[in-house]
Amino acid sequence: MIRFEHVTKKYGDSVILDDLSFEIKEGEFAVLIGPSGCGKTTTLKSINRLIEPDAGHIYVNGKDIAETDPVKLRRSIGYVIQQIGLFPNMTVAQNIGVVPKRLKYEKSEILKITRELMDMVDMSYDEYGHKYPSELSGGQQQRIGVLRALAASPPIVLMDEPFGALDPMTRSSLQEEIIRLHKKLHKTFVFVTHDMDEALKLADKIIFMEGGHIIQMATPEEMLENPASDLIRSFMGKRAADSAPVQLTAADFMRPNPISVYKNRGIRECTEIMARRHIDSLLIKNDDDTYAGVVSVNSIKRSGKTTGPIGEVPLSENAVSYVTEDAMESFDKLLNSDKDYVVVLNEDDTIAGIVTKTSMAKAMADALWGDAQ
Amino acid sequence: MTMKLVLEHLYLVLLSVLFSTAVGLPLGIFAYLNRPARKVVLWASEVLQTIPALALLGMVMVLFGAGKPTVIIGLVLYSLLPIVHNTFLGLDNINPGIKEAARGMGLSKWDRLFSIELPLAFPMVFTGIRIATVTAVGVAVFATSVGGGGLGSIINQGIRTQNMRLIFSGTLTLMAMAVVFDAGMALIEKRMNRRATH
Repeated sequence: MIRFEHVTKKYGDSVILDDLSFEIKEGEFAVLIGPSGCGKTTTLKSINRLIEPDAGHIYVNGKDIAETDPVKLRRSIGYVIQQIGLFPNMTVAQNIGVVPKRLKYEKSEILKITRELMDMVDMSYDEYGHKYPSELSGGQQQRIGVLRALAASPPIVLMDEPFGALDPMTRSSLQEEIIRLHKKLHKTFVFVTHDMDEALKLADKIIFMEGGHIIQMATPEEMLENPASDLIRSFMGKRAADSAPVQLTAADFMRPNPISVYKNRGIRECTEIMARRHIDSLLIKNDDDTYAGVVSVNSIKRSGKTTGPIGEVPLSENAVSYVTEDAMESFDKLLNSDKDYVVVLNEDDTIAGIVTKTSMAKAMADALWGDAQ
Repeated sequence: MTMKLVLEHLYLVLLSVLFSTAVGLPLGIFAYLNRPARKVVLWASEVLQTIPALALLGMVMVLFGAGKPTVIIGLVLYSLLPIVHNTFLGLDNINPGIKEAARGMGLSKWDRLFSIELPLAFPMVFTGIRIATVTAVGVAVFATSVGGGGLGSIINQGIRTQNMRLIFSGTLTLMAMAVVFDAGMALIEKRMNRRATH
């Protein structure tokens, strides 16, 4: 659909696009992302010839756009920008009809298209069609900006940080709408952003650029799993797992330094500690700090003892994991046991921590949504 | 003082502002569209304004002879600056996002100018016309010195005969005329701005 072949663009000595070659397929939602000055906007604007490359060729539908009349080319490519750029001297309906009017559509046809499009974003023609852009909120204005780009049903729509100036709530609802429009209309969308969340949410394919090069071009999943560079990793923040989930060990999820007592501590003292800490069991360790077992309030009650060392109460056997053990295995042990936690031991059998159901849930949440902190 | 002189004055002012707009608007557009010519056009209109009005009328008279055409040519030249400048500024100050959107959507240069840029710049252009009109009311006083008539002749006569009443009546009429033009056009301007910013 859109193909770049060795495209180069320079401003003076600085190279903006450096021998760029790639292809965007028909119907794809491609998102260009990268640090500022990486060439993403220049790339976008070369597609509708707002910027002319110094070397190389760009093909749209197999035709070299350098040989196409720019006005005709642009009328066949939708364009949405961050500043919205609605024409303040025209009503909403007139704005949407700008390109169809120039393509000599019938008036009734333009009206029909305008009504249909406005219905798609839940802004009724009767209510908003005759308003001026300045009477709308920012979010509404950009909805109209998107509709205006779609009005002549162009196969390609270019969007240059269209939601960058909107507040987070409005942005996210517009993102939902743009996904819906893309699914419904099967057009090729090329979208520039510097927000990785937005890219991951919208893209079929993310094109990551730096210094006029493409560093990685991949689906959001691929990019999350295998970011091609540290820069991409940092763009994705904690989202990209530093290591794949299979490599995570019990140590990554355990709660370190659980409360533990030596075997020879008094029973009374132990119940005291449990009461004070609001817990119903204690980890017991031998004199050499190695793990001995677990004592619960119930087992103390059942033993009938109130005095003497805690070691005399029968110890219950919680499942045990080692710090190096696969996290999944210790989760399995936890789920298969009737206890509230699995005890995690260091290599030398000393206590390292415990894995509870809470730590498991937190681990899964982190893996799914990134580190919340 | 006769009504004839007032009408004559109005005639000179309105006709010259009309011509001035007819010349100044295209010049302002030209300055906007043509970057190399911009400096020359803006500079030339500024230089014209620095020539003393009487001297300018005198020079035009030497070339074209005494009479109304001379007055109108002089007034047109003198009124160019606000119209040319405001046209250029009005066009140049349009939000770049609007211009980019228009270009990116496939509107040709002239289509952009007439459908979007000029309508948006028009309130600013109108301010230029207002300034030109009010200035012309005052400058047209010199018309009488180059055989153009108007209210200037009353003041001239008053000065020659040392008649304070005559000078005053001419001056007050001129002031009233300027105020009426200024206020009336300011009102229209306000309406246009309200529509533009809606």
